[in-house]
Amino acid sequence: MSEVRSRKKKTPVRSSLEGSIDPGSEPKSPSPSVKSSWFSSKEPTKGTRNFSLWNIWVATTILKVLLFDTYHSTDFDVHRNWLAITNRLPLKSWYIEATSQWTLDYPPFFAYFEWALSQFVPPRVVEDGCLDLVEKGQYGWATVVFQRSTVIITEIFLFAVLQTYINLSENKTLTFIIAGSLVLSPGLLIVDHMHFQYNGMLFGILCCVILCARHKKHYWMAFWFAVLLCFKHIFLYLAPAVFVYLLRAEVLDVTQKNIIKFVKWQNLFKLGAIVIAVFAVAFGPFIYYDVMPQLLSRLFPFSRGLTHAYWAPNIWALYSFVDKILVIVLQWPYINGLLSRLIHVPSREVIAAKIASAGNTGTKGLVQDVAFIILPNITPRVCFLLTLFYDVLSVLPVLLNPTFKRFIGALTLNAYASFLFGWHVHEKAVMLIIFPFTFLITEKRLLNCFMIIAGAGYVSLFPLLPSQNIVKALYTFIWFVIYTVSFNEVSSHKTKHERVFMFDRVALIYTLGLIPMVYFVFLLDIFKSKYVILQKFEFVGLMIYSVYCGVGVIGSWFGLSWLYFFEDSLWDSDTDE
Amino acid sequence: MATKKKSSRSKPDDSLLFYGSALYDFLSPFKRAQNQWAARYTVVIFAIIVRSAIGFGSYSGAGTPPMYGDFEAQRHWMEITQHLPMKDWYWYDLQYWGLDYPPLTAYHSWFFGKLGSLVDPAWFALDVSRGLETETLKSFMRFSALVSEVAIYVPGVFRYTKWNGKAIKHSPIDQTIVASCILFQPALMIIDHGHFQFNSVMLGLTLLSIVHLLYENYMLACVFFVLSLGFKQMALYYAPIFFFYLLGRCVDLQTPGLPLSKRLNPFRLFLIGTATVITFVLLFGPLVLFGGLENLKQCIHRLFPFARGIFEDKVANFWCFSNIFIKYRTLFSQEQLQSYSLILTLVGFLPAAILIFFKPRKNLLPWALAVCSMSFYLFSFQVHEKTILVPLLPITLLYSTNDTNDMAIISWINNVALFSMWPLLKRDGLLLQYCCLMLLSNWLMGNLSFITPTFLPKVLTPGPSISLVQQAKKRHGLPDGILWRIIILSSYIAIALVSFADLYIQPPARYPDLWVLANVAVSFGCFVLTWLWCYYKLFILAF
Repeated sequence: MSEVRSRKKKTPVRSSLEGSIDPGSEPKSPSPSVKSSWFSSKEPTKGTRNFSLWNIWVATTILKVLLFDTYHSTDFDVHRNWLAITNRLPLKSWYIEATSQWTLDYPPFFAYFEWALSQFVPPRVVEDGCLDLVEKGQYGWATVVFQRSTVIITEIFLFAVLQTYINLSENKTLTFIIAGSLVLSPGLLIVDHMHFQYNGMLFGILCCVILCARHKKHYWMAFWFAVLLCFKHIFLYLAPAVFVYLLRAEVLDVTQKNIIKFVKWQNLFKLGAIVIAVFAVAFGPFIYYDVMPQLLSRLFPFSRGLTHAYWAPNIWALYSFVDKILVIVLQWPYINGLLSRLIHVPSREVIAAKIASAGNTGTKGLVQDVAFIILPNITPRVCFLLTLFYDVLSVLPVLLNPTFKRFIGALTLNAYASFLFGWHVHEKAVMLIIFPFTFLITEKRLLNCFMIIAGAGYVSLFPLLPSQNIVKALYTFIWFVIYTVSFNEVSSHKTKHERVFMFDRVALIYTLGLIPMVYFVFLLDIFKSKYVILQKFEFVGLMIYSVYCGVGVIGSWFGLSWLYFFEDSLWDSDTDE
Repeated sequence: MATKKKSSRSKPDDSLLFYGSALYDFLSPFKRAQNQWAARYTVVIFAIIVRSAIGFGSYSGAGTPPMYGDFEAQRHWMEITQHLPMKDWYWYDLQYWGLDYPPLTAYHSWFFGKLGSLVDPAWFALDVSRGLETETLKSFMRFSALVSEVAIYVPGVFRYTKWNGKAIKHSPIDQTIVASCILFQPALMIIDHGHFQFNSVMLGLTLLSIVHLLYENYMLACVFFVLSLGFKQMALYYAPIFFFYLLGRCVDLQTPGLPLSKRLNPFRLFLIGTATVITFVLLFGPLVLFGGLENLKQCIHRLFPFARGIFEDKVANFWCFSNIFIKYRTLFSQEQLQSYSLILTLVGFLPAAILIFFKPRKNLLPWALAVCSMSFYLFSFQVHEKTILVPLLPITLLYSTNDTNDMAIISWINNVALFSMWPLLKRDGLLLQYCCLMLLSNWLMGNLSFITPTFLPKVLTPGPSISLVQQAKKRHGLPDGILWRIIILSSYIAIALVSFADLYIQPPARYPDLWVLANVAVSFGCFVLTWLWCYYKLFILAF
């Protein structure tokens, strides 16, 4: 991809954020006095620049405040309801209360967090209906301003963590670009600041875990990860990598022959104590009030369907798509007749009967079971086993050689496995892949995979917002261009290996193809009101999104897995270079 | 007016003008000249993002039947140009937002009306669509304003900063930074994409005309200026300068000892005249063709509503301000007021017009335009508060300078201009956007960077612009002269007080408009100062 791009535009652009790299050329023709003043300043390092996220923070904050007025999803009312529940009710009934359908279904720390936020609700916002325990929130502008501001304020944690990450690193240019790409992530803008959620802060904690791993602060790492799990249990998907890494790096002593001494019991107890302490703080009160069963049934609702309201771009999206195609194809008499001679296929009558009985085919935007017509149905057990299989596969190398790089690779692959094969996956979970993956971009060969998952993943979030919102598309586009180019400039070629055949060309074509895809679905959508025929195929737009993005996600997963399992030299590094 | 020393630097230090600004921090990676295109695209895309983010907000007359506001007016024109023959455009139900802009606005409305009807004909159904306010319609209207601006205004800004930047030896990165300062001018953004109007089309066409004057394509300059006039008659505020500048260019009064016959350039005069006339005919011709002369008369009549008062809302010009003390409407008749305002306006702009005729120099052009349009704003008849955008265009173009003092004064006047529209924006429910844009534009320019390091931990101070540059090199929002500093600071304090009062203190029952009038007084004072300052600069530069 990089090659084609730079050939096309003779001079590769330099990102707005890596300006810095060549201190010598910083001011083109500065007067000597200026130059000397620069170097005599307190900054001892070679750079001529403090790598600070401050300006980025100010710029994006102003943009986010301007976005207060835009569309927000029902998640807004969900969080408002949680504010009300935690503020108005005693702790023991938090997980029992069910006035609204938006019941509290995040782990206790998030509930405490909501409780803490609710302490700051000004009287004007309370009057506005922010803290009312009602079935459907009746709130106005004041509540919107309050809740949106809390997202912006809590996101500062992410900025702080990443700023620390930059300050502690040696290659500041590289880490600055990584950090910048994360804090400017279109995913956060779309999901947090328009759709409404608190991912910024949660991913801040995740980055904290990664930062601790980078600097070998393993106890802190365990602490932060436990905290993260108690905030949002979706991060359980990443637990295998963290668990195995900690086990191998802190607990097991492979140099020992003695089977007893093979385990460093002291460390094990320390780690265990930390994790148990965090969980005790989180769940203790609920155990005390004896509401754990209700709490757990809220956290793990197994009654949900295979795919979410929209199809997340994963294996199951492609699976449903194939099923739909088969339904159409097999209803053609000739093909059905031809095929039934070769293999066993259901007859047309059977298919028609199944369609009639199924009614819903997983695209109506409702959370319920999906019935496949032709292909065998998928059970939660299948999903679980597939996820587990790939999880185990990806953590094995960490068990053998626990470097930082390998740990991040395993983390990313865990996220991939859960996203691709998981039961009832949200499309928002794609950020779970992209965030750890970003920390890997120091090597050019990983860049292609990253750019595909970033492009496909962020684009797959578009259906969360109304189609006429062009901010999401423009912002993602410019983010993508800036960071493709800057990652390209700072990442290095460590291995002199041949390129995988055609992979980068295909990757480029694929990412460019996202633009016409988005545009086409947009046209479908705006002409829906005019042409009745388009209304009949309301789900087509969403299907195109999930199938096209699904192909990208799976492709990038292949690419990363290939490099992870077959290119050992990429993963031996313990730093971010 | 203390220090107005001319910029003595022949070649400014690279980008020192903008050290300490966030824009420099963001764009410095594109410093190399061959990367400028990337910087420009980035700036334009972010400009679009900010504009569409403003567009999520409210607009003029949202949810206020029966008349709604400017948004409905623009939609209504798209509706009537769709469905009525051209002869009826200027006659149809004049009580409900009758068309009162020149034909190019009508054609523009027709085009976007057609485009919108492709998507959803219900948006522009005749009569039944009145007061329609759906999310999709709003998005489409916002889209039309965005497209118009990107197509006309944005290229104008880049071409202007490129030409002028070369003339005053700006580095390429500085040209781009100046262009983004102009693009992030808050007043135009909030009026076009918040309040909702198409000012950027008129201003963009004028800007293109200025650009062509600079490149000495006189015929194209005429065409664009006539198009600008044909979009909104407010472009007339610039007309005297364009007229006298072009006339001056046809008469060589500079070279000494030339015989009179050689001084005149009749061929150029002829070409300019022809271009102007042809463009006018093309613009207004269809009206005559399809509706007869009567139609043209009606159009002209609609454009200049002298029947309306000397000022309508509260606007920070001479008439509204002095009306606080002298009640004109009771003292004088409408006709008297008309002639007085005409005389005052003439007196206001004539010195500049005469100067530009005798010295038609390119570097004087923005100053003369600023002075002239400001005179119109301050003294002419029937001025709206949004009209401040007209003088604000040439003033904002002056960002393209090497003099940091000028730059400080210009950003000050931009802030005051935005403040002068406070009552309007408050009515529209755009105060959040107002605050954000005020902050954004000043912060991007670096006017606020003097605060940054003082409250940030060392490790967080951004650079290279801010952290490592000497205090003296930092851009700050104030000019050097002590007098100017006092004026600007006291005006900012006044602005803060008036805004605060307007938000939180109930005005006394006898004077319900007290805070609005305070706003008018503060803004008027600042505008008069700017006007005088521009005159001063104009004459300093000319002689």
